[in-house]
Amino acid sequence: VPVFAVAGAGAREAVQDLRLRPEFLLTPTPRAANVLLLAGSPSAELENAARAAHDAMSHPRVTVRWDSPNSSGPGWSLPAALSVSADADIVGRVRALHARVLDGSFPTEGALFVDDDPVPWLGVGPFGQGGTGMTGGVPYGRPMPERADDRDGLTLDQVSVRIGPLFSSLPQGLSLAVKLQGDLVQEALPHVAAELPVPSPPGPFVRALDVPVPVAELELARARSLLRWAAEGLRIQGLSALGVRVLRLAGRIGPGDAAEIEALERTLRRTRLFGWATGGVASLGTDLLTGMGAGPVGRAAGLAEDLRLEEPAYQALGFAPVLHDGADSAARWRQRLGEAAQALSLAAAAGERTAFGEGRVESPHGRLARAEAPADRLLPLLPALLEGLDWGDAVTAVVSLDLDLEEAGAVRTAREGASA
Amino acid sequence: VTPPPIGLGVLAVGGALVVGVYVVAILDVATRIVVSGAPIRSVDLLLGPARRASLLLIQRRTRTERPDAALWAFAPAFLIGLAALGLSVVPLSPRLAASDPSTGFVVFAVAVGYVIVAVFLHGWSANSIMPLMGGYRFVAQALSFQIPFLLSMLATGLPAQSLAIDDIVRSQASLWNVIRQPIGLPLYLVVGVGVSFWGALALPDGEDLAGGTSAEVSGPGLLLWRAARAAMLVAIAALGASSFLGGWLGPWLPGPVWVVLKTLVLLILLVGAGHLFARVRLERFVVVAWAVLIPLALANVLVSGVSLL
Repeated sequence: VPVFAVAGAGAREAVQDLRLRPEFLLTPTPRAANVLLLAGSPSAELENAARAAHDAMSHPRVTVRWDSPNSSGPGWSLPAALSVSADADIVGRVRALHARVLDGSFPTEGALFVDDDPVPWLGVGPFGQGGTGMTGGVPYGRPMPERADDRDGLTLDQVSVRIGPLFSSLPQGLSLAVKLQGDLVQEALPHVAAELPVPSPPGPFVRALDVPVPVAELELARARSLLRWAAEGLRIQGLSALGVRVLRLAGRIGPGDAAEIEALERTLRRTRLFGWATGGVASLGTDLLTGMGAGPVGRAAGLAEDLRLEEPAYQALGFAPVLHDGADSAARWRQRLGEAAQALSLAAAAGERTAFGEGRVESPHGRLARAEAPADRLLPLLPALLEGLDWGDAVTAVVSLDLDLEEAGAVRTAREGASA
Repeated sequence: VTPPPIGLGVLAVGGALVVGVYVVAILDVATRIVVSGAPIRSVDLLLGPARRASLLLIQRRTRTERPDAALWAFAPAFLIGLAALGLSVVPLSPRLAASDPSTGFVVFAVAVGYVIVAVFLHGWSANSIMPLMGGYRFVAQALSFQIPFLLSMLATGLPAQSLAIDDIVRSQASLWNVIRQPIGLPLYLVVGVGVSFWGALALPDGEDLAGGTSAEVSGPGLLLWRAARAAMLVAIAALGASSFLGGWLGPWLPGPVWVVLKTLVLLILLVGAGHLFARVRLERFVVVAWAVLIPLALANVLVSGVSLL
């Protein structure tokens, strides 16, 4: 079943796990999908994007709403042919519906938007550009490409587009307003789909802001989160099958699996081609990152910033952070895999110890506090980081930062709850 | 070699392509299953591709805003045609080829040269940003690999002192080119992956572009485009088997069987590598192509020439 899935809050991991099901084919764009799967709870902006995606799908098409076990926010308001509860067999239900749609016993869905031109067709000029002169006018209310100097000093067309919030190789909810020349990024301004609702119950790291949480639980969650990131990153780098393997590992990981992660790290390091894909891309040096609490991103640049160093429980375990000094995307890959393996050994050794609980915690993405998350601090770095990269490298760069927008939303709500 | 009547030739090449494309699809599913560590079920393996193809056939096409509809439909058909053209010059035995292999080398080179047009048109005609970027990428990629591709093929013509593909096969009676020119085959395969934009060099249709030139395509158009890419891979493997692995030469079995077996070996290599190597950065690939692959290919030609003297 070709499915285009939109993950609202609280459903990201459930949607990612659908990649483990061979019955589902998650398509990168809605075009080749017949089922629109709406999971979790959406923000208004995500809903709007999902409506547009719905209309871009090919017939016969149906919408399925999938409640997620950990989302409390508002549900999707798009009309859905089928609503599946969190504990039902999503694959079986969707397959049955899909079969009925294919044989015509269930009607295909019409468009949600009216398909007309955003601005009336003026009919002026040979291509209806609606103005006069060489590049006159704004066809359909959209400006013609601007012109700007490229890095070789040539004046070339520059296209302004907004990519996201459902773009398959950016974190869902993030969109970039990009100016592109060919596939070179001239300018990229990030934008986060506003008021992203919050998953509940909160994950162990958000809980650890208020109460001490067992180290073993934290470290297992850390390893899982890092592996999920690696699975997604591998897919985007063109290794989707290997990504599925890592995702399966993330689902069943236990304290004894450190060797498996180390083996994965070795494989990636030895196939030099993976280094070719990420090496030298998007370097972030210590000058920018010092004091930022950017977690693995900072430690990949050699900064020994880690809140775990201050926790008695971790000190008792003899914790010393994994460090790399490459500062580029490749270093961040090695860093995260190294940390995942380390997290498992910590979890194995932790016993009953608990840690944190005083408003600050080291999450898999960096220093998490009641007021602010690592993603909030990393997002402002994006424009400078992406400028001048070609699009493939820009995607590699964004992936390597592991921006968790949901976590950012969660701590913001926690703060609001505390002040109220 | 006397080529068969044109109708029979077209039929044979068409049939070979359909079978070849299906074999590529099965190999792709198989490597995917092995690499991802999923349980192997022979139903998925053998019927999975057919099931997915029929789903795409049922799907209706979508329209983007103001596409170049004629070119959009033309591009995949053109790419399949190029693959068929390339495959048609590969001889199955000393007396069996779909078309006259005496000009085979030139015809194949032309087919490879026009791939750039097919892919760019496919990206251009959707009138959308991601496909367009895919098209741009392929132009940069194709300009870089075409010279090493031709040079590595040219080197195989030197021992044969002919550009006819049947002569190239005959010249390997004593020693296959894969041993005679050790860097020839790896070079050929690297750029062959580029021609069919597969695996690590699937840049125009890359995951980071959400599907690139095929991001906006659905239904039969998508099926045709995927089939065209696989067909190109088959043509590359078939010519590689003839130019480097001695084509029909081999003991015990009849010639055509050897050609098919050797093609299959190269296909397994090409498809398998697709799941083991990450996407290559375009910029780095262009640099490597011009600074490493072309000098290597030239050295290959030089060494082959000198060894003939």
